[in-house]
Amino acid sequence: MNHPNEDQLILYHYGEASGRHEVAEHLEVCESCRANYLTLQRVLAAVETLPVPKRAENYGAEVWRQVRPQLAKPDGPRESDFWRLFTWPRRAVAGALGLLVLGAFLAGRFWPQPPTTPAPVIVQSQPLSAGARERVLLTEIGDHLERSQLALIELINRKTSGAVDITAEQVLARELAAVNRLFRRAAADAGEAGLSTVLEELERVLVEVANGPARLSADEFAALRERIDTDGLLFKVKVLGAQVRSRERDAARELAANRS
Amino acid sequence: MDDSDAVAVARARAGDQDAFGMLVERHSIRLFQLVYRMTGNEQDAEDVVQETFLRAYKQLDRFESRAGFGTWLHRIAANCSLDLLRKRKRQDQQLDPVELESEESMPTLPSHAPPPDDQVFHLEVQQKVEAVMKQLTPMERAAFVLRHFEGRSIEEIGRALGTGPSATKQSIFRAVQKMRRALEPVLNATP
Repeated sequence: MNHPNEDQLILYHYGEASGRHEVAEHLEVCESCRANYLTLQRVLAAVETLPVPKRAENYGAEVWRQVRPQLAKPDGPRESDFWRLFTWPRRAVAGALGLLVLGAFLAGRFWPQPPTTPAPVIVQSQPLSAGARERVLLTEIGDHLERSQLALIELINRKTSGAVDITAEQVLARELAAVNRLFRRAAADAGEAGLSTVLEELERVLVEVANGPARLSADEFAALRERIDTDGLLFKVKVLGAQVRSRERDAARELAANRS
Repeated sequence: MDDSDAVAVARARAGDQDAFGMLVERHSIRLFQLVYRMTGNEQDAEDVVQETFLRAYKQLDRFESRAGFGTWLHRIAANCSLDLLRKRKRQDQQLDPVELESEESMPTLPSHAPPPDDQVFHLEVQQKVEAVMKQLTPMERAAFVLRHFEGRSIEEIGRALGTGPSATKQSIFRAVQKMRRALEPVLNATP
């Protein structure tokens, strides 16, 4: 076999490599790969040094003492645990609401505003500086692009033998499309043509996945896969994601510089 | 599934809270270890352990008894941890952006330090590991912890985190690569 790359060695280490026997044989005869693998093993063995604080023997009883009173409570959220609301689909709703606010900010503050457009009125419970808001926004866009990219890669790499059920992927695509729509509109309003165009292409694909049939024949699935990456969409999303992350880092630096 | 777990789950489903309490007492320490590795924070880990049991109790009817109860709990805990990590990431970015600069913020030990004895070396490696763990994205950290420390298969991790095999593998690859980049120089510096 050819020299296994790092990913193959990682899978081999964890017992997940498909050609495990071939990799083992290769490591027997190839000194450089063996050295490479030994380094990987040393690194992963070193990870074991990560300490975990010890818990007392009665820790379980203590947890139960804390948990028990809450079992009897109605299903409503506990006041101190607001973040725990953030599970799908509530997370999607909350995220979308948050993005609406961010989108309004985006249209008015982050990107240049057309002179005739009145500034949006945004009521925020806790005022953030413009730099901090910009950074939050960029993080949101970066995360969205990463999630979308992963979801689409996952879909097109899916192994099939005959008909395919993409119900789970449709649910995710629907959620991503909803969030995408907010960003796309905000970007278009702000005159960010490049961002808006890629988001539009992305949305078209997400909507197609979300609204198409859940069960596809092998041919239909092959056609869908082809359409997903028409015009190199995944590459564009990846590049855009990198640009957004870069802007996010710049925003952080600027923010830090302003603070100091 | 462990027989005693199965019995306790059945009783808990029938409304016996004490039976659920037995499950809590039995699985808490193991769960804490998982969650601590995922969150890297003791208080967060304790909160997530509690949250996991609360979610598990509410979802007991959805538990399929052919799977291990512990495995099921770990899946819930992994998701709770992931939610928390994502939330923390956003909070940190608002409050302390500088510290989030990934590689730039990694603690580095002076290169002119004398050859480390075992203890110092161990500490240095440990600090590096902790620093890299903090750098990982929530998804990378979750997938890596489940694979490396929990020994879960790619398929199990994907099911737990709601990702497919490719995305799961990519998260693990990236985590290991980051770990390697940070640790290899330290490990190579030893005799």
